[in-house]
Amino acid sequence: MKILIIEDERDLLDNILAYLVSGDFICESASSKAEAIDKLSGFDYDVIVLDIMLPDGSGLQILEYLKQDKPDTGVLIISAKNSLDDRLKGLDLGADDYLTKPFHLSELNARIRAIFRRRKLQGQTIVKYNEIAIHTSNHEVLVNDDILELTLKEYELLLFFITNKNRVLTKQAIAEHLWGDNVDYLQNFDFVYQHIKNLRKKIMAYGSQDYIKTIYGLGYKFTDK
Amino acid sequence: MTKTTLWYLVFALIMFSIGGVIAISMVRTVVNRETDYELKRTLRQIRDAAPLENGIWVLNQNPNISIREFPPGQIVKQDTVLKDTLIFLKRTDRVEVYRKLITNTKIEDKLYHIEISNIFIEEGDIISVVSWIIIRLFLFLTAALLLGNFIISKNLFRPFEYLLKSLDNFRLKNNQSLSTQPTKTQEFKRLNEFVEEMTNKAILDYQNLKEFSENASHEMQTPIAIAKGKLELLLESPDLSEEQLALVQSTQQSLNKISRLGQSLILLTKIENEEFSTADVLNFSEVVENNVANFQELGEMQGIQLTANIEQEVSLKIDNSLADILVVNLLKNALQHNIEAGWVKVKLDHTRLQVINTGMAPTAPTDQLFQRFKKNEQSRGTLGLGLAIVKKICDVNHLEVTYDYQDEVHMLTITF
Repeated sequence: MKILIIEDERDLLDNILAYLVSGDFICESASSKAEAIDKLSGFDYDVIVLDIMLPDGSGLQILEYLKQDKPDTGVLIISAKNSLDDRLKGLDLGADDYLTKPFHLSELNARIRAIFRRRKLQGQTIVKYNEIAIHTSNHEVLVNDDILELTLKEYELLLFFITNKNRVLTKQAIAEHLWGDNVDYLQNFDFVYQHIKNLRKKIMAYGSQDYIKTIYGLGYKFTDK
Repeated sequence: MTKTTLWYLVFALIMFSIGGVIAISMVRTVVNRETDYELKRTLRQIRDAAPLENGIWVLNQNPNISIREFPPGQIVKQDTVLKDTLIFLKRTDRVEVYRKLITNTKIEDKLYHIEISNIFIEEGDIISVVSWIIIRLFLFLTAALLLGNFIISKNLFRPFEYLLKSLDNFRLKNNQSLSTQPTKTQEFKRLNEFVEEMTNKAILDYQNLKEFSENASHEMQTPIAIAKGKLELLLESPDLSEEQLALVQSTQQSLNKISRLGQSLILLTKIENEEFSTADVLNFSEVVENNVANFQELGEMQGIQLTANIEQEVSLKIDNSLADILVVNLLKNALQHNIEAGWVKVKLDHTRLQVINTGMAPTAPTDQLFQRFKKNEQSRGTLGLGLAIVKKICDVNHLEVTYDYQDEVHMLTITF
């Protein structure tokens, strides 16, 4: 999967690159509108991560260019502006998703992959992890070819885990992924444990390994190592 | 304008009264002098008509003159006296004031006693005539003043009236300079210049503030996003001890708090700047319903029961996102400051929205909880801005919000 990250803040760009490169992504970056247009006209990308505020113009102009010249490219907007107006304008101009700064890198990863699945494979994709296979088109999960019945939240949780396999996921990142920004009022996210416990129980009942490792006090990691 | 006129008139009335008194005394002085002069002239004529022997009888026919000759040899002191006297006049059948000249004088070696009288203009007559004049003058002045005022305010004050009107219509956020009317009046010219300068400065300040609050949002969130990302990458590194993981986590929590703090303060500024004003009416029932549904699951996980009684088709004139923020903040507040196995009830009808929840007794007076950073002792770890945002949203939308507490039940009411 080929990705172009358009972000003028060097440190933030480095963070994103460092996180995504360790997956199966090929990442390139651009730190200005001109550089971005230059790269976009020369190469094809699957997904673009786009910051709205750039030193030489608005990211929305890049969106307009893409809509005309490369309508197949998926776009994820990242912006500090938490305003409904910008969000609607971005989505109107053909962006696939919108993420407000500051965000969890695991969330960014999950969103990029979701866009990729929807865009490139028209949803016809199977996310696999050893004996677990997730058919994202019909929200079906198979363990050793047996259909596993999950609630919607458990399904989302499993997909989030496998998307971010081998990575530490904090309880907060999980809570925000499953319930959105509204969880920010909560003092602790221990309730995530209940959902993890149920998911773990269901998967193991179908003869799968216990991949969910608890990292004490912090969160969880989905790994076979 | 009318006040100035009124004061002018009061002042004029005082001046006219004083003028009247002066006029009366002056007229009296002049009349006195003229009468005396007339009496003396008559005396001179009598003297010039000498020798008098034959003429006395003729002169005495005049009712105003009486002449009598002193017998020769009588010693008489020669002097002249002028005095006022009352004489009953048959013709008018009343007593009139007369001025009288009484003299003992020598004409051609003979001594005569001469009395000459002349009707005197009465004091009352003088006063009534002078008052008549003064009152008419005053009425004339009043009429002239009112007319003058009318003309002045119609023409001279037109630029001023125009300025008042445009000040009345002036709105900071329209980003439009104040319009004034050119004038030749020096004072209004200066006033126009001054007000123009002031409003332009205010517009500029407002724009700067708006820009700042928007930029602050961006500039602050980016470094926070960077720091958060670095921490997340740090978590990836192998062999972190439990202590190190705990440090990373608590740093992450602090960063989250800064981020939310910045966003909340910017939101408050934006609401204050009335960036969310709208003329549209939205279906408030829908907003409440959607948010209650969103929070029901979160409440359940906390062990708090969230129930709602929502009347349909309640409409409210409020900005879309503000309505959302308002309801979300109320619900978060009710869930956050709750007790174990507590409950939250949401009631909406056409007159008000009520969020009622269980919770510990507040340690601060309930009306103070709308202030920024004011919170109860048991609410450590929260920002203390949720209710400040609720209050601000209610203020700019002219809604009334009250906070009541009784027996471990908190009740927030927003009256439409």
